[in-house]
Amino acid sequence: MPAGIKIEDLSFSYSPGRRVLKSVSLEIGPGEKFGIIGPSGSGKSTLLLHLNGVLEGETGSVTIGNIPVTGKNLPEVRRLVGLVFQNPDDQLFNPTVEEDVAFGPLNFGLPAADVRARVMAALAMMNLSGFEREISHHLSLGERKRVALATVLSMKPEVLAFDEPFSNLDPSMVMQLMEIMGSMVSTQVIVSQSVLPVIAICNRMAILKDGEIVAVGEPRTLAKDHVLMKASGLDLSLYRTLCRDL
Amino acid sequence: MRHTFIDKYSHLDSPVHRLDPRVKIIASLAAIIIITTEPVSGRLLNLCLYSAITLSATVLCRIPAVYLLKRMLIVSPFILMAALFYPVSVMDTREVPFISNWRPLAEAGLSVFLKASLALLILILLSTTERFHRLLMALRRLKVPAIVTTISALLYRYIFLLADEMLRTARARESRTPGVLRRGRLKVYGNQVAVIFLRSWERSQVIYKSMLSRGFAGEFPDMQEMRLRSSDIVLSLLFVALLLLIKFFI
Repeated sequence: MPAGIKIEDLSFSYSPGRRVLKSVSLEIGPGEKFGIIGPSGSGKSTLLLHLNGVLEGETGSVTIGNIPVTGKNLPEVRRLVGLVFQNPDDQLFNPTVEEDVAFGPLNFGLPAADVRARVMAALAMMNLSGFEREISHHLSLGERKRVALATVLSMKPEVLAFDEPFSNLDPSMVMQLMEIMGSMVSTQVIVSQSVLPVIAICNRMAILKDGEIVAVGEPRTLAKDHVLMKASGLDLSLYRTLCRDL
Repeated sequence: MRHTFIDKYSHLDSPVHRLDPRVKIIASLAAIIIITTEPVSGRLLNLCLYSAITLSATVLCRIPAVYLLKRMLIVSPFILMAALFYPVSVMDTREVPFISNWRPLAEAGLSVFLKASLALLILILLSTTERFHRLLMALRRLKVPAIVTTISALLYRYIFLLADEMLRTARARESRTPGVLRRGRLKVYGNQVAVIFLRSWERSQVIYKSMLSRGFAGEFPDMQEMRLRSSDIVLSLLFVALLLLIKFFI
């Protein structure tokens, strides 16, 4: 059973007097697919970085399974939580696909044979077998996104945290990625401005606005609350009209 | 956008390619020291012999000559300048007129040219016959500080992304520049450089976070093992011994 996530009263600011997260509390169950939507600058990506201990809250706490995200637990937390960044170029910093996918497991001190097996398995899961020796940034955006996901899957995380996974992807690639995400048993946190895929894939979803959670619930129920969505800067009326027309 | 990598021929198979990168680095360094410490006068024969050995190694590597020449051409203006101006800098115009004393001066210039060109060719061979990442790993195992190899690895990885960003900002500028940029040209270029700098800085922050999230603890891990074979040592010792033989006995 994958780990769940508990966030209690979490606040954070990058500079004094400008809070990005304000007393955020959330509980995400083991194996749940949880979406966090909100307009630009609402603090979604910042919240995600707290799950892995890359950022540390000023107040409050984050717990993954039974492990609190604190300095001394960081190696274990990073083993449990895999972060997939919005831009694959930020995640692929090694010369070849193989080295990028092996980076995480090697940092955890696994033997070379185990690392190689994990690399092969992660690439196979992303339909990228045979790409080992490819140069990461010579691949297409869709391939780079899948390699970025493989770099995290090779760490066998119990929690996967995606930052804007659907951005800059064409509709078929969005479908492909949704299928991959749907087939994985790990707990998933999906932060996105692309509301529709989140509604389609997630069991529950939260709306974040100006660093505060304004609603948590079943995605379709929340999306149907036009007043709430509009007030949260997520007006879906254009999509509704288009969907009716199409 | 596609870029040309300095190690684009590292996948070829040759005796030089197969050498352990640590041995290659040490042998190359030794060769450069032996060649460049030759006096500039009266050693043309030695330099010709060094050239013959280095060119033989080049042929062994099977790297296209055009590619090597192109890479050498990038630095050749500096070598030519040094070769041309060295004789002038040591010439004593008070005692001997230049015309009557041209032979030793030309020889000195030629020596400088040959020494610098050979050192450059050796470095090009080193970087072309081994993957850049493996060279850095080898340097790390030769006790070069981790900060140097890590920064070099990241620089090599991201210099191409920076080039892409420069291209994108240049396109954005050109798309809004009907005709020739007339006024404030320096200001526009300055702004472009500033934007690229800021983007690079921001990107470096995100990359570091991404590295941390995958357990990075200050040093790049290495999956590939390096095995030092006795044949590697014998081959490189032979190469260096041959150069030393020329230096001290010819």
